[in-house]
Amino acid sequence: MNLLYSFREGIVGLRRARLATMITVSTIAITMTLLGIFLILTINVQAIAQSFIDRVTFEIFIDNSLSPEDIQELEGRISVLEGVEKVVFISKEKALEIYRRYFEGDPLEIVDYNPLPSSFQIKLKQEHLHPEGVEAVVKKAEALESVDKVVYHRKLFRAVYRTSRIVLIVDGVLFFVVLLSAVLLVANTLRLTILSQRETIQIMELVGATEGFIRRPYVIQGILQGGIGGAVGSFVVWGIVVGVRLRFPHLLEASPVLVLAPFLLGLLLGFLGSRVGLRRFLRL
Amino acid sequence: MIKLSDVWYREGGDQILAEVHLHVEAGEFVCLVGPSGAGKSTLLRLVHMEIFPVRGKIVVTDYDAQDIQLREIPLFRRKVGMVFQDFKLLGDRDVFENVAFALWATGVRRKRIKKRVFQVLVEVGLSHKRYSMISELSGGEQQRAAIARALANEPFVLLADEPTGNLDPESTEEILGVLRRINRRGMAVLMATHKEDLVRTLPARVVRIQDGKVRE
Repeated sequence: MNLLYSFREGIVGLRRARLATMITVSTIAITMTLLGIFLILTINVQAIAQSFIDRVTFEIFIDNSLSPEDIQELEGRISVLEGVEKVVFISKEKALEIYRRYFEGDPLEIVDYNPLPSSFQIKLKQEHLHPEGVEAVVKKAEALESVDKVVYHRKLFRAVYRTSRIVLIVDGVLFFVVLLSAVLLVANTLRLTILSQRETIQIMELVGATEGFIRRPYVIQGILQGGIGGAVGSFVVWGIVVGVRLRFPHLLEASPVLVLAPFLLGLLLGFLGSRVGLRRFLRL
Repeated sequence: MIKLSDVWYREGGDQILAEVHLHVEAGEFVCLVGPSGAGKSTLLRLVHMEIFPVRGKIVVTDYDAQDIQLREIPLFRRKVGMVFQDFKLLGDRDVFENVAFALWATGVRRKRIKKRVFQVLVEVGLSHKRYSMISELSGGEQQRAAIARALANEPFVLLADEPTGNLDPESTEEILGVLRRINRRGMAVLMATHKEDLVRTLPARVVRIQDGKVRE
């Protein structure tokens, strides 16, 4: 009975404070849309930055005179180096094939033997993909017997790494600012809704309603307002994602959870905002 | 039933009440009379346990202001009805809903609510206006609706803070009549007023309060 009453009062309360409800729901809808868009942008910027870093290849050139057994043994030693995730052997023949695929001309037309060395292409673990981590692996690999030289685009790697870090930090700060403004805006707007019903709360206290009884309809109102605003946000974000994908099919990474994030966050903010807003007016 | 012993109350450095002793017995009608700012409303708020004394003892039936827990206050308030000069009614609901509100808020069953609201509205002579909005009522009718709400939970005492303060003489007489009737049924009434002439028409014990001190 009490819970039913709280639901009914919560919904009736939204209708009674129509203007405040409309302002709150629109505010939540706008902030949740912005937050949703920003969240998707952040995830995509991160993915792009990471894919740049991932694409930097590390090649370990080895002595051409090594026997297949020696090569196998060296591969074993490289694969156990700290930071190495995967090792792929590129034979002289495979190297020639790759050369032919990417460059014009054929080395065999200039010299009568295959001048390309055998090598190992290595993939580093995520946690080692930073300038110091990479250098540490390179040093250890170079110290191995039969390793000629380790080659990677050091300058490019550093530049990509530095740029991606800057982008991530700026993006992170902006995301935090947008999130904080959304939280404050929603909490304040919900507080306004509650302020408009302050008299009702006082009368409830006066006639002996318990704190839970007073609180429940407002928390339900907060969740409803947050949910409706958040759902609008999710819908708009979904529309944007669909629109962008129509024009650029592979551009955006947006999982269903990301699209639903504004709705879920709206529910959470509605719940928390109403609790915070009530604290100020409940004297019990 | 209501017992204040050596009660002192201070607010923002001002002494509002000092050395107040007051007893109200069950079924008694007591009028607190004094000029504006004398401390009458403060005394009622202390009895209603909205505020607490800096010194002294307040006991209302089984509840002692010194020991009462926050979670017990709602239960206590259901036993003490209160009405105000400005009625404190919900303007967006009708008379029935305003009175029923006190019962909903205390978890009474729907069937019982309907019956009880009708009973109290008959008691204050407002049953014919149960579906009128508050704004459609006169001042006297609004105060009667407020009294009905205060009576809904069958309290043992009714606290009335200047209940006729906003009313014309005719409505004032109506309200006093309602209070007299309630008291005759056995409910204690503790009313604060600054209108000396009012209390002469009431079967009440008069307690004068001036500059925060009580003189009987």
